[in-house]
Amino acid sequence: MDALSQQPRIYTVSEITRNIKKTLEGKPDFNSIWIIGEISNLTFHSSGHIYFTLKDDDAVIAAVFFRYANKNITFKLKEGMSIRVFGNITVFEKRGSYQINVITAKPEGVGDLQRRIEELKLRLMREGIFDPRHKKKLPILPRRVGIVTSPTGAAVQDIIKVALRRFPNIEILIAPAVVQGDDAAVSIVRGIEELNKPEYGIDCIIAGRGGGSFEDLMPFNEEAVVRAFYSSRLPIVSAVGHQIDHPLSDDAADLAAPTPSAAAEYAVPVKKDFMDEIDYLLIRTNNAIASLIRDLSARIAAIVERRIFRDPYEIVSRREIGLSDLEKRIRACLREAIPTGRNRLLVVPDITILIKNIINNKTYRYGMALNALDQLSPLSVLKRGYSIAMDERDAVLKSVAGTAVGRLIKLIMHDGLLRCAVNSIEKGKHHGEKK
Amino acid sequence: MEKKNKAKSGAQKSEKIDFESALKKLEAIASKLEEGELSLDESIRQFETGMQLAKFCRERLDEAEQKIEILQKGAAGKTARKRVEIDQDTGEIVDDDLQGSLL
Repeated sequence: MDALSQQPRIYTVSEITRNIKKTLEGKPDFNSIWIIGEISNLTFHSSGHIYFTLKDDDAVIAAVFFRYANKNITFKLKEGMSIRVFGNITVFEKRGSYQINVITAKPEGVGDLQRRIEELKLRLMREGIFDPRHKKKLPILPRRVGIVTSPTGAAVQDIIKVALRRFPNIEILIAPAVVQGDDAAVSIVRGIEELNKPEYGIDCIIAGRGGGSFEDLMPFNEEAVVRAFYSSRLPIVSAVGHQIDHPLSDDAADLAAPTPSAAAEYAVPVKKDFMDEIDYLLIRTNNAIASLIRDLSARIAAIVERRIFRDPYEIVSRREIGLSDLEKRIRACLREAIPTGRNRLLVVPDITILIKNIINNKTYRYGMALNALDQLSPLSVLKRGYSIAMDERDAVLKSVAGTAVGRLIKLIMHDGLLRCAVNSIEKGKHHGEKK
Repeated sequence: MEKKNKAKSGAQKSEKIDFESALKKLEAIASKLEEGELSLDESIRQFETGMQLAKFCRERLDEAEQKIEILQKGAAGKTARKRVEIDQDTGEIVDDDLQGSLL
């Protein structure tokens, strides 16, 4: 009963086809896939689209290669050709068929090579051959550049032309090499190894060739060549002309150039730039020194403007006044001191030494010296109110007994002289003692 | 340790100064002099050093003597250098006996 009430689902052709389409096209396994096969039933449509069947021994699959996609391929599709196509599986509802919608295609022969290169690349990468930290810096000023390439090709000419233009007195040593065909790999390796010998005095190497077909560039994908680039003791530039796929030598070299000319530009500096830079630095240095000297000159001029330099005699005469004043005072002091020089009453140190010292003193010490002199001079003693008594013969009186009533004595004060007559003599008494 | 450092710096001193560091030094001297912080004596000293460095750099630039040589297999497999002329316009090697390879 239940079976009867459950009507089977009936699809229209469109419905089931849509389902198939949805299922197939939605499946990741059928998207962005590579298929290898042989071309048959090849049709170039006037619209630019290409239709063919891919087949192997046991199966076929329809393929459509639309114009917008096939315009980019570099080889010509041919009946019976073995190719690899990349694309998505799509369903064409109107015909009830599925097909591979080709996005790009490659001839299978080269595909093999490319796979080998990819494998080699992976292996060398794991080994660290392409590691950036192995990369050497190119010398900033190479004296001699080595070139490994064909001596007759366009590459060597381009490199030489560019190098001479940039650095007219550069030295170049060419290791001639075969750069295509079966002998190329060994030849290139030999050239790189030879130029690495210290005896040639080379600073850096350019190794490469001009652009060519994929097969032409193959030597620079050879393991031995790639390793030679890596092992080069000298910095080495890979100079293989290419547009899209770069050779593995580029990855192993210290620097990769897209063309031989570019390699020469990387390796050889422009001499004039250096000359200009040195000139510029010299000008800066000269200007800096000139401005320093100008500043100093201005400062010196300002100092010279000061009075001491404008009128040095003025300073000297000022000093002279000070000196003569000093001299006067010393003389005065001597006048006072010498007559009493033998006198025990006055404790005067050897005044000549004192004076010598004073005179020997530097000018700025005059004041201090004068002060010291003042302290020691008998003058200052007298200033304090003492006086010196002397008899008529200028002998200092040390006792009342040294004179007599009616005799004349001299009293020397700090500012002059008193001539006195002795009225009386009171022995043993001081004037202050009043009984 | 100190001894080691000393020996090292001594070795560096005796080492010939290269073009790049000479140029950098000259640059540093120009900048230092431009700052104007140095004494007159030191400025003159630096100036003299700068002149020497510039002379050294120019000499280095003129040191190479333009020549193009090519390696050739000589007798008994010996590799020899051979001087060649270059066509200034095309950069072509002017030599009627160019060997394709060292091998």
